[in-house]
Formats: sequence, C-alpha cells, structure tokens
Amino acid sequence: MKRRDFLRLTALTSLSVAIGVDNRTNQAFGAAPAYDLAVVTGASPQKITSAAIDALGGMKTFVKRGDVVVVKPNIGWDRTPEYAANTNPEVVAAIVRLCLEAGAKKVKVFDRSVNDPRRCYVQSGIADAVKKAGGEVSYIDERKFRDVKINGSVLKSWPLYTELMEADKVINVPIAKHHGLSRLTLGMKNWMGVMGGSRASIHQKINESLVDISMAIKPTLVVLDAVRVLTANGPQGGNLKDVKKLDTIVAGVNQVAVDAYGATLFGMKSSDLGYVRIAAQNGFGPMDTARMKIRKISI
Amino acid sequence: MNTPRRIRIAVQAAFLLLFVFLFLQTESKGNDDLGYPVKLFLDFDPLILITTLLSAHAVAAGFLLSIIVIAVTFIFGRVFCGWICPLGTLNNMVGSLRRSKPRISPRWNTAKYLLLVFLIVSSLFGMQLAGVFDPLSLLIRSFSLAVYPALSSATNAGLDLLYGAPNQSVNAFGEAVAAAAKKLYLPFQQPFYEQGWFIGILFLGVLGLNLLEQRFWCRYLCPLGALLGIFSRWSFLKRSVSEGCNECGACNRVCVGNATPHEKDNWKPTECLYCRNCDDVCPKNAVSFGFGSKQPTGSLNIGRRRVVTAALSGAVAVPLIRTVPLAKQGFHNPALVRPPGSLDEREFLQRCVKCGECMKVCITGGLQPTLMEAGLEGIWSPVLVPKIGYCEYRCTLCGQVCPTGAIKRLTIQEKEKVSIGTAMIDKGRCLPYAHSTPCIVCEEVCPTGKKAIWLEEVTVRDADGNVITVKQPHIDLKTCIGCGICETKCPVIDRPAIYVTSIGETRSKTNKLLL
Repeated sequence: MKRRDFLRLTALTSLSVAIGVDNRTNQAFGAAPAYDLAVVTGASPQKITSAAIDALGGMKTFVKRGDVVVVKPNIGWDRTPEYAANTNPEVVAAIVRLCLEAGAKKVKVFDRSVNDPRRCYVQSGIADAVKKAGGEVSYIDERKFRDVKINGSVLKSWPLYTELMEADKVINVPIAKHHGLSRLTLGMKNWMGVMGGSRASIHQKINESLVDISMAIKPTLVVLDAVRVLTANGPQGGNLKDVKKLDTIVAGVNQVAVDAYGATLFGMKSSDLGYVRIAAQNGFGPMDTARMKIRKISI
Repeated sequence: MNTPRRIRIAVQAAFLLLFVFLFLQTESKGNDDLGYPVKLFLDFDPLILITTLLSAHAVAAGFLLSIIVIAVTFIFGRVFCGWICPLGTLNNMVGSLRRSKPRISPRWNTAKYLLLVFLIVSSLFGMQLAGVFDPLSLLIRSFSLAVYPALSSATNAGLDLLYGAPNQSVNAFGEAVAAAAKKLYLPFQQPFYEQGWFIGILFLGVLGLNLLEQRFWCRYLCPLGALLGIFSRWSFLKRSVSEGCNECGACNRVCVGNATPHEKDNWKPTECLYCRNCDDVCPKNAVSFGFGSKQPTGSLNIGRRRVVTAALSGAVAVPLIRTVPLAKQGFHNPALVRPPGSLDEREFLQRCVKCGECMKVCITGGLQPTLMEAGLEGIWSPVLVPKIGYCEYRCTLCGQVCPTGAIKRLTIQEKEKVSIGTAMIDKGRCLPYAHSTPCIVCEEVCPTGKKAIWLEEVTVRDADGNVITVKQPHIDLKTCIGCGICETKCPVIDRPAIYVTSIGETRSKTNKLLL
C-alpha cells in the first residue's frame, strides 16, 4: 500500500466513523435484513406491526440494550384515529413496547403538530397509548431546535429537533395519506414534524426539500401505517368517506423503498411521487418495487 | 389577633387561592372540556346578574348562583367584599404595605353608588358597561391579558438565560426549573395580547390606589361593592358598641371601609366590610357583632340630585356612545371577527362583560381584546386576530367559559357549521398567483371535511421564462367558516396573502355575501 493510499483510506475510514458516530441512526452499518420490505395485512394493528418487524429480523436487530430511541409518528392534526390523519395509536404503542422489550433505555415520542399540540396529542389517542406502553410523550419545546447543516440541493441548513438528532435510534412511523402538493405524505414527508422555523416555506420546492431533509435524518427503521389511509382532502381529512381501511403495515429500512411501495397502496406508481423519483435518481434508495425483496404476510 | 379576624384572613386566603387555581385551570389540556367550573366566581356576581337581566332581558342559568350572594348579604352584610372578593383581598394585601390616615373626604364614598346608578340605568337602555368596572371581570381580565402573560414572559426570559448558558449543568438545572414552573403555573404557550400593557397599567393603578388609602377601590369606586352595600343596609348582622367604649378612635384607624365605627350610633352598614378589624383592635373590648341589635346605625345618603344626575348620564351615554358608523344599517367592521357561537352584535354587546375568560382560554391565543373596533361599548370584547392565532376547528372552549352566554356554548357538531367570517385571497401577494411559486399551505391546513380551499392547476411562466405548473387556491364560499388557520399558517408571514374578514358570519343577518 502506498503512503497516499494509506492516508486516503485512513481519512475515509475516520470520516465514515465520524458520520457513523454523528449519525448513529444510520442502519446501513448494521446487518442488512433479508428483505427490503415487509408488508403485513391483518385485522389487529398491533399484531401486524409486530409481524412486520419480526419479518425484518425482530426489533433486536434494530434496537440495542440501553439505546435511547425516538419513535416519530404523525401527530399533526386534531383528529380522532378513525379519520386517518394521524398515525394509528395502536401501531405507535406496539413499536414503543417492542423497543422497550428489546432493551431500550428510553423511548421518546413527539411531533411538531400543525393544530394545537394538546388537542392533537390527546385526540389522536397517541399520548395515552404511548404512556400506557411505557414511552415518554413530550410536547415540542421551541428551545430545542438547533441549526443542522444539510448541504442538500435546496436546503443548506435547517433547525432540527435536538432530541431526535441526539437519539441512538430513530424509528419513523408515518401514516399514508393524500396530500394536495406532494400527492401523498408517507415516510419522508413525516420529517416535517421535526423541522423548526418556518417550515411551510419548503412547499415552494417540496420534492427536493423532502429529499434533502430525509437524507439528513436517516432512520433506523420505517414503519408505514396503512391501517386506515386517507384518499382525499389530506393531509388532515375530516370526512370519513375519504378514509379507506387497508389493514396494512409496510416496514423497511430504506425510507425511499418504503415510500415507493406506499405509492402502490393508492394505485399510483412510485415514480408519480416527485420526492421518491429524485431520491432514487440520487441513489438514496430503490424506486422499482418489482425489484425489491418483499416479504408479504397476511394474518 | 382575635378569632373572627383570624378566620376572616384564612377565608380570604382560601378564596384567593381558589380563584388563582380556577384561573390556572382556564386552559386546554387537549380534551373537549376543561374539567373545572372556571367561571365560578363570575357566576356568583350579582352586579352582572342584574345588569345583564336589564340589558339583555335574559340571563345565563349559572348566574342564579349570585342570588346566594344577595341572600348572604341580606343576612351578614358585605361579607362578600370583606371575606371573599379576590380583588378585595389583593387590595387588602397591597394596602397593608402602608397604613396612613384617610386623606380623602369620606363623602367620596358616594362615588361608587353613582357609578352603580350610571351602570344600571345604561343597562336598562340596553348597554352593558358593568363589565368594565365589575371587580371580578376587572380582575380576571387583568390577570388574563396582563399579569399572567407578563409573569410567563419574565419566567421564560430567566429560563432562556439558563438554557443558553455555556455550561451543561446550568442547562440541566434550567430544564428542571422549567419542568417545575410548567407544572406549577406556566401557561402551555406564551400568551400575547393587544393592550396587555394598558390593561396592566389600569390594574396596577387600582392596586396602587391602596397606597393612598387602603382598599381605595372598595371604598370609593367598586360598583359591586355599592350594590352589596345597598343590600347591606337591611342586613341582620349588625355591629354594636357597649357602654365600655371611651371613644378613643382606635377602631376608625383600622377601618378599611369608611364605616365610621368610632361614631357610636353612626356606624354605616353600607360601608362596613365586616372585616372585624375594629373588634380586634378595641382596647376596651367594647365592639361586638350580632343579630338583632337595636343600636341606631348611620344611613346611606347619596344625595337625590347626584342620583338623578348619574341616572341621566347613564341614559344619555347610550345614544351618545351608539351614534357611530357601526350602528348604521349594513355597516360592518371587517376586522370584527367574533368567536364562534357569538350572538348577533347588538345582543352580543348586551351580554359581554369583557371578563377576558374567552381570551384566556383560547387555545391558539387568537382571541384579542378590542379597543374601538366595536365602538366604545364594545371595548375589551373578544375579536379573533388570525395573524396571532386561528380558531381551532374542533375547540369549543370560549363558549364554555363565557359567563353570560354572549358566546353560546356549542357542541363540536354545531360548531363545525358556524361561520365566523370568510377567507379572501390577496392575489398580489399569494405565491402561486403573483410569483409563479408553488405553495398549497392554506389548502393543506383547511380543516373543513370537504376543504373550503380548492386548487386549480394552471400553467404559468416563472421569472426565467420557463413554463411551470402551479396550483392556485380558491375559496369555496359555501364551505369556508372563517376559522383563519389559512391566514395564521400562510408563509407570506408579514401580511398574509389570505386573510379572514367578518363577512359571511352566521350570527349576522346582514353581513352576508352569498345569495
């Protein structure tokens, strides 16, 4: 080995270690599961959630003893669960329980709601369900946003929530819904809930922004709640006619793959979603669901 | 200290604490109900009962509780003022900082009766001004809009210092203090109110007058005190002085109500707060309170001419205040977006007592006190300012805490159908219209089941000449309820490109837009 190669290798290794330490949420350093995605259908939200995570190797593959885990559902709206505007509380609670069983020291749950946070937390049923499961629910504290360098194509830096950035593991638990601009809100768009500042302005370049932000927060695991999905008047709904019951959970490690599959739940192609297209073009994940290894289970 | 005085101080403390507790509970915890009867003190206020009855010819059921206060006053005198009223207790506390001889002629006692006459006569002609001077309204309004926001702001400034310190253990300490303060007294979010400083200065003025003379407000100004004073004339519980009195005058120095206790046969039950200071201080132990005393008492002499003048002023004030453009048929103030469930403007003003409960409880802090938007008679009544906070779609708290029914209590289902105004788009500022830039935030946050904002996909040219597609928002007038969340969340933050005005409000028969 030449000296220059050695130096280059050392630099790269330390860089990747540095990224690994800085961004401990990146599962890419762990053992890759046998499947890209697990798609489980069944009547019990709690059971299909557990089954999906088991299909990817169980929660112990993702969460280690003593980890501080952030579980990030969508608690954006003052709606009760049947309106499919927030993540299903049973799904969130199931994940919290699995994390604790896997030895997590703490499981934190929060979201920067759009409607009044108190009403969102209570009416969504999530605060109650998470507390019962042993997790810690907290409201967003505006003091805890810190500017994070993103260096994306549109977002160069943005205030992000420190409790999430400092967690050992992050599990994204979005709900699949219609959205007027991005067409669907799935996993990548769920990160808007940890963005501080005037986040509404990212709608000006929504697809690029979502990719930028998603690459800054790489989750350990994504569990997409499609127990009930909202097919119109999203993202907050309000009309039960727009709600469709799919009784489905999609879980995966790569957020682009999960969102790509999410599109198919609505009869769309993954390429219909601008942010999935851009993410795939940049090599952040696969878009072609036909080429993914998918474990489908029905219980 | 003798027992009655000790008991009185304990009772005062208990009621003040109850008042503060209920005040702190006037805040959402995420459920549809608050869980506590937060407007309880107002329910017991006979001044509001009587003036609302006269102005609106109707009264909210809760106010029947105030009959208890009237009954108690007939039996025990003005014990409400001396033992219960939280503003009276605060006046007591501030007044105890300085004990000076009365400097104001006791004849000024009559001022409060004249104010009462003024308020009652104007309410008879349909104008509810009592809330401006009612002690409970005044206290809740001052706490809600001035004292509490200032306290919260000061606390947060301190916490920010601890958070910002370049030392981790100081930061952790800050976090612990913040958690404790949040549990104990901090509001969920920092409130901001128009005129907070002004209402605060008025309140400090009321408290500051105690330095001139203890319980200045209660002696000379309080219209509720005057009302109870009148009832107190016939109270059964009377003060009597035994032969042991050597007229040393000690009692007069501690009297907080200008009741002339040192003039043996001229003790004035209308002014006495039954605080028992005179009983406590008497070196001869000659003072006692009991039922059925035959000792002559001082009478209430306001002066017939003065009463007539006050009554006439009350009558004249009504047309004087009302002759403003707002009273003109079909004239509506676009900024006067009232809370959901508000009665039609005239009826609303006949009931609203400006207590500030609705503004305190408003979940987004969007309900603000008016200055002159609703005319002088509407001063400090609630108006929604969406730039500060919108009306939360499924929240019904303002109607729950309104003591007089000026804001009706609505169920969530009823509220979803009530429009408080209509959103309009400023196409000169809206990003997809004026600047060929994508944005759908107003549509995204629109809460009606079928969205009141719909998007039209159009192709436009951007600044570089490229043809791009944007979605331009439109308002569906039939569906829009004027909640204002679109205005609150509009990314054009300094002057939102979508805004709500009062037109289309359900409560008005004339402020209509649609056929």
